[in-house]
Amino acid sequence: MGWLPWSSSSSTDTSKASDGGRIAPDRTSRERCWEGRDKFFTCLDNNNILDALKNEKEAQSKCGGELAEFEGACAKAWVKYFKEKRVMEYNRDKTIEKIKKEDAASLKTQGWSGSK
Amino acid sequence: MGQLKARNSTGPFSWKAAALFVVTGAAMIIYFRVEKERLARQRVAEMNKGVGKPKGRVVTEEELRGRYSFVYFGFTHCPDICPDELDKMAAIIDNVKAQTKGENVFLPVFITCDPARDTPEVLKNYLKEFHDDIIGLTGTYEQVRNVCKQYRVYFSTPRDVKPGEDYLVDHSIYFYLMDPEGDFVECIGRQDTPESATRVIMEHINDWKRAGKPLKK
Repeated sequence: MGWLPWSSSSSTDTSKASDGGRIAPDRTSRERCWEGRDKFFTCLDNNNILDALKNEKEAQSKCGGELAEFEGACAKAWVKYFKEKRVMEYNRDKTIEKIKKEDAASLKTQGWSGSK
Repeated sequence: MGQLKARNSTGPFSWKAAALFVVTGAAMIIYFRVEKERLARQRVAEMNKGVGKPKGRVVTEEELRGRYSFVYFGFTHCPDICPDELDKMAAIIDNVKAQTKGENVFLPVFITCDPARDTPEVLKNYLKEFHDDIIGLTGTYEQVRNVCKQYRVYFSTPRDVKPGEDYLVDHSIYFYLMDPEGDFVECIGRQDTPESATRVIMEHINDWKRAGKPLKK
């Protein structure tokens, strides 16, 4: 929500096209946003924080700089989306792992070998 | 008595007055009818304004006939999945082009689920970054809803969006391969690589050719 059309902070999201549409971030700004996200998530990983929405204060105090950079490079809706996606993907991977382990265990009890 | 009668005959209810009343009434009815029709036309004209502008025109399913079309639904403010899939689409387009020796039997189409923000100009500039061959389609909310329904695509675009509002659109993320007669053939999903997708598409194109069925070139 940049005040000026040329201000960098996520202004890409609100810029108008001449036919009334709203111009989406281009390839370069998308990549900049993803870079900001990756840096912020690396910091969260290093500090053992999974959910940056639930543990907002902790994320802010440990990774404040990275968060500011991330928020500066991405639209608000994208920031929220990526934070939620991180939690969702973690839970998904955990579930897959659990199911795999259970499958392996049940195969073993049925007399199958544990080879994959 | 005689005086009263005389006044009556020239009074407000004379034949002249009656005739004038009828003529004026008829003229007004005609005027209102004409005006009503004009306003209705104006409404239609205004409703269609902005649709398909500035360089746009109406594209129907008929236009996709004669070629294999490859349809993707998305929106330009999409954070990560659509850009990934569109890069994949670009690779598939190049592969198919190479394998059909540039026969132009393959038509890649991107339909937006977010017509409020994705105007023809926005779509054109967005798709240009992926592949020049991709045709971008947008319309009114109703048109988009209708085409999504036809393809059985789910989307969650809010109907009334405030100007400047920031939102994401949840939508189905499959490519739909349609045959030259407009029938659905197969889905290409996230799990497909450009190579596996190209293989599937080329098998169908070659089957179609082997069967001797018509293709636009």
